[in-house]
Amino acid sequence: MTKKVLLSPLDPVHDIGLKMIKRGLNEAGLETKLLPPDTPAEEIIRICMEGSFDTLLLSRTLGYGVAELLARFVDLADAAGLRDNVRIGIGGMAVRPEIAAELGFDAGFGPGTTVEEAVAFVEGREYSPQENEIKKEKVDIASPYTYHYKNQKIGSLLEKITMQIIAWAANKTSPGVERAKLRENDWDYQAFLKKEDDSKFYKHYAQLCDQIPKDFYLKGVMHPKTRELSKDELISLNTYISNMQKQMKVKKLQHTKKLPIVWNQYGTGCPFMDIAHVKASEGWGADGVVHFDPSWGARTEGFLNGNLTHQEDGTVITPNNLYRIHRMLEKSTLWQVRAHRGLNTAETVVLAGKIGADLTKINICYGSLAAGTDPARLTIDAFHAIKYAAKYKMPFDVVTNEELTGVPAYKAFAGMLIVADLAVRLGAKPILQPLFAFSPEVMVSGQMDDNYIDFNAAKIYALRSIVDAPIWPGAPIGFLTQTEDRVQSSLSTALHALLATSLGVDAISIASADEAYSGGPISIPSKIDTLRGVEESFRFLGLAGIKPTEKAQIWQEQMVIGIENVLSQIAEQGDFVQSLYDGVLGSKEEGAFPGRAGYNTVREE
Amino acid sequence: MTDALKRVIDALDVETFLVCESEEEGKKLALAMMKNLGFKDVDLVFIEFIGSGARIRARAYMHRPGDQYGWLFAEEVKGND
Repeated sequence: MTKKVLLSPLDPVHDIGLKMIKRGLNEAGLETKLLPPDTPAEEIIRICMEGSFDTLLLSRTLGYGVAELLARFVDLADAAGLRDNVRIGIGGMAVRPEIAAELGFDAGFGPGTTVEEAVAFVEGREYSPQENEIKKEKVDIASPYTYHYKNQKIGSLLEKITMQIIAWAANKTSPGVERAKLRENDWDYQAFLKKEDDSKFYKHYAQLCDQIPKDFYLKGVMHPKTRELSKDELISLNTYISNMQKQMKVKKLQHTKKLPIVWNQYGTGCPFMDIAHVKASEGWGADGVVHFDPSWGARTEGFLNGNLTHQEDGTVITPNNLYRIHRMLEKSTLWQVRAHRGLNTAETVVLAGKIGADLTKINICYGSLAAGTDPARLTIDAFHAIKYAAKYKMPFDVVTNEELTGVPAYKAFAGMLIVADLAVRLGAKPILQPLFAFSPEVMVSGQMDDNYIDFNAAKIYALRSIVDAPIWPGAPIGFLTQTEDRVQSSLSTALHALLATSLGVDAISIASADEAYSGGPISIPSKIDTLRGVEESFRFLGLAGIKPTEKAQIWQEQMVIGIENVLSQIAEQGDFVQSLYDGVLGSKEEGAFPGRAGYNTVREE
Repeated sequence: MTDALKRVIDALDVETFLVCESEEEGKKLALAMMKNLGFKDVDLVFIEFIGSGARIRARAYMHRPGDQYGWLFAEEVKGND
């Protein structure tokens, strides 16, 4: 027989909560009746008894006199014999479960009670929070795309350029490529997990490294900015982790649209603090986390080993550090280990792939024009890194951070498209990563004088007009628009997220509210600030949109022409690597300087 | 550091509005306030002075990356701390 539920607010006006619960009860197939606000207690009890209701749900929003009011209601209900056949629950903003229990109600629902909890009470079953828990799964943003060119002219130019790169790379190698090969062929992750002796591997490995890793392996000398985590610390971490895992929950930021997925970076220097950052990011809704390594790591041939903490930004890549962080991730969390810019690019991809990363990050042009690595060296290392990314089925983003030095977007995009085209030919899945940033180009030329929408929209329109590929603006969105003010910073991030969702992109990377603060490490609350902001922006926009002005169209067309011109020049020259040295993809005047790390280390096999 | 402060994962921010005559004075006051509260590793993350005073966000780091984290070794917080 269908259960009958009477709902009545004990307030002069407030009955929204009960209306929502009534809807939930009706959807669960229960019969309900809602009395108007301010119905006298005696009247509620009479209706309940005459109507043979099974359950009475009361609510109280206003706080004054609540205890007396509820106590009087219970007395009246007892006197009338209502409690013999009817279960009474009370909820609302003014109600605390402990007060309800003290007064003798069958259930008390405080603020934050879900409709599902109320339904479970009415149905007389134990409420299991799991039934209301958010189920998240990893999202593969690359798989829906074909990588077919919509702009055939650009497609043909890219083919010419990347075939030339493939031919150039065919007989070349570097110390980084050799280390990656060694890591790929002679380092076994399962053996590492079993703590099997790896001294033979590292003896050989050390020969391919710079002095710092060499001294570490051969003489036991620690890098000056690192220290090994103690046994006590490792044991305590395990306790901390097992306690935390029991209560871990994740939130979902997306509202009605499934995309964009949201990425947070970590790289505090310490893998323990990283884990704390990651768990907060996951809890507050990040879909993926990106591992940031120290800047010196990109300019040092070879990795260190062990459980190492670092005194400055960026967490040292070692098998132990990556393993420890990886095993702490929720099953639904995507994990990216960036490899894009230095002398360990290829080996990073191998190591990340073996340990279980979902994505990586590779860009020859940014790494060699704005991150200090020699163009020839990074081209050969990235060539192999891309092949490993394909092997380990790790899509990777091609970030255009050279925009931050002053390289105009169309040049950075030309470089990004070359790397993406090369990746597709090598069997990998690249993701385009234009910047949503107040870049030097727009500061000087004024494209963002009126708004932050049009130029960012033009970037997405331009890329979409060229190729069917996933797009993941970053990194982070709103870069250089944020200030030290956490409200402004969070809002700016949230507004850029709003634009991203309106443009229908696949993913975004967001910063913390500490983005512009340079005086110390990023704090975890500042990460939560922006995640909350983004969640609210998704909720605000839903399926609605933002309409850019006609400028977006004009700038899109200009960008595409610019990209075509740059690619034509490189195709005509017939030498991609030389074009990087020559400034075709970003000149010294534009702040792009071919890097020196790894200079003269490429050799023919 | 009290037991409760050991549970602060990284930093403790203090946000308030200081009555002052300039940004410079606001900065000095904010940092002095944090020191007076007994914090050692302090900084001013944000200050905005307009007319009647300054909105500030001051920060005290309890744990920087690589430190020995109190929250890793934390026992139950004592009520009188």
